[in-house]
Amino acid sequence: MAVLEVRNTGIRFGGLVALNDVNIDVPEWEIVGLIGPNGAGKTTLFNCIMGLYQPNTGTVAYRGRNVSLLPTHRRVALGIGRTFQNIGLVRGLTVLENFMVAQHPRIGYGAIGALVGVPRSFAEERKLKANAMEVLDFIGLSHLAGSQLDGLPYGTLKLIEIGTVLATDPDLLLLDEPTSGMGPEEAHEFGDRLLELRKTLNLTVLMIEHHVPLVVGVCDYVYVLNFGQILTEGLPQQVKSHPEVVAAYLGTEVEEEEGENVPA
Amino acid sequence: MATATEAITAPLPAVEHERWRPSTAGWAARLTVLAIIFGGIFWITAIVPQYWADRISLAAIFAIIGLSLNIVLGYVGQVSLGHHAFVGIAAFVAAYYVTEKAGCTPEEGCALGDFALGMVFAVVSGGVAAMLLGLVALRIKGLYLALITLTYGFMAERSIFEIPFLTRGGAGMPAPRPDGFTTDRAFAYLTFAFLALVIFVDWRFLKSKVGRAVLSIKHSEPVAASYGINVTAYKVLAFVLSGLFAGMAGGLMAFRATNVVSNDFNFSIALLWVLMVVVGGLGNRTGVIFISAFFALFPFLLELWSWLDHYVSGSFGRSLSVVTVTVGALLAILTVIQFPGGFAEQVSPITRWLRGQKFTAHPEGHGHAPKEKGEKKHALLSKLGLHKGSEGKTDGASEEEAKVKEDVDA
Repeated sequence: MAVLEVRNTGIRFGGLVALNDVNIDVPEWEIVGLIGPNGAGKTTLFNCIMGLYQPNTGTVAYRGRNVSLLPTHRRVALGIGRTFQNIGLVRGLTVLENFMVAQHPRIGYGAIGALVGVPRSFAEERKLKANAMEVLDFIGLSHLAGSQLDGLPYGTLKLIEIGTVLATDPDLLLLDEPTSGMGPEEAHEFGDRLLELRKTLNLTVLMIEHHVPLVVGVCDYVYVLNFGQILTEGLPQQVKSHPEVVAAYLGTEVEEEEGENVPA
Repeated sequence: MATATEAITAPLPAVEHERWRPSTAGWAARLTVLAIIFGGIFWITAIVPQYWADRISLAAIFAIIGLSLNIVLGYVGQVSLGHHAFVGIAAFVAAYYVTEKAGCTPEEGCALGDFALGMVFAVVSGGVAAMLLGLVALRIKGLYLALITLTYGFMAERSIFEIPFLTRGGAGMPAPRPDGFTTDRAFAYLTFAFLALVIFVDWRFLKSKVGRAVLSIKHSEPVAASYGINVTAYKVLAFVLSGLFAGMAGGLMAFRATNVVSNDFNFSIALLWVLMVVVGGLGNRTGVIFISAFFALFPFLLELWSWLDHYVSGSFGRSLSVVTVTVGALLAILTVIQFPGGFAEQVSPITRWLRGQKFTAHPEGHGHAPKEKGEKKHALLSKLGLHKGSEGKTDGASEEEAKVKEDVDA
């Protein structure tokens, strides 16, 4: 049984068919890539999986359970974590507070208890803060704990975002272009890091990625989305050389660059 | 050589970052200043004529209204132009209960228990009225929500405030003060107690998961939901809390005036309340409390200058209340254009100092952003084990390495 099963998912905005009959399986412990040209509907599919959009057709099942009708926060509580293409952090809160927000679903005290100031809420807030500091220490960002997000470099923000999403304790991680804004070398290193994360945290990953060498390097399986439909799927090496994919997405120049870009 | 896995799982050396703390003498100085401020407020309330104590209680009530609106404007980030509806409904509910149901009269007074129950009904009615607005706000935002609240306010003015059995028409509904708090001075202390309660709840709101959830929703609903926050519930909760505060203020206003007249709750006062929150500083508790109190006291301060009253009524044929709204509008314009943080931003060195930080215009956490972006990023990547060959090395070493690398690149 796959961790995530997307079946016959379709969504339209007015006359535009954004997704049409999309089927995706993400098996346990795999890193599955989702590639396709801009506007193919990749992020739309993520939004359907998270429940931010309500698809017109189809179902989303998480570990065999149909979650199609659950609101987003319930899906997160089940163990689906997600990053955003533009950084999904809360500006206006400090780095530390972002890590505290990320622990929201696991907070034991209730909202009313918080407002009347039950002793438990004070104790738990201290624990949340300690947990957040621990994670920050672990990823080596504790010196930024009190910082506002504005003014931090893009790469740092990306890392903080992935850190906060990991703090929501996901089982299945949806990454939306995690290496955007990184150079080829950094992207390659990110791939190594992702493989390690999977090992240590037992993650299953579905990843939107434009960086072809990274996709080839880390993904176990790849889906290609074009104009809202699955164009083809398969092992990264097969997909990469698939003529339709080359035509639709990679372009003709890739043939020449191929040799240099494939990681050794 | 350590493997990559070990590099990731082994805790990295914690970066020592010392937080500046004041000395014992520093704390003593801060406590003294706080004691002078709070003691001064109580002392002034104790020595001024009853007539002025009454105005001080209005200042406390305005502060509660300011904090109520601050939740909608500052934390949720939406505009409410109909807050006079919540306050007014609550005032009439409180007055209706004590006069019609509990049998209080201006001559015989009102038992403390009846007053308490009247306040409970006022608070609940404010919360219910605001919950309706919250449910609308789930679908509508920004300008359109502002229009809806405006309509809501006018609707209340024209319909609810004119129900004869609730408001007794133009004569108003009596709301006698509770036994023991009939004097203006005693009532002022009572409003202080309610303000303290509101401040406590507002403090817990911001310092708990509730405030963080609401601020996240203000920033981006998809992001908040992806952190596992129930967007619908927290949005409605924020509006309800705002309504509960407004209801409390309404109840207190009823008992302060001892006779509730619907004319007291009109659009121009709702606008003044919005202005005072903007001038105080959106989302800043201290700023909002002080400026709300200022706006409550300002008309009375003006009265001290009789020549001004003379001039305004003589030359313009207007009452002094015109000056309040005009000054409010000017301050709001000045705030928006020149001082976006409001009053709170201007006094932030003082409030920061009182909280045990240094007296500076630059808060902690700012200026930490690394200037040489590339270099710092390499250091970060090294720490995360993302940088090649950096496993197990300390911060300093990897930073040096990054420098060397940059030099080589150059």
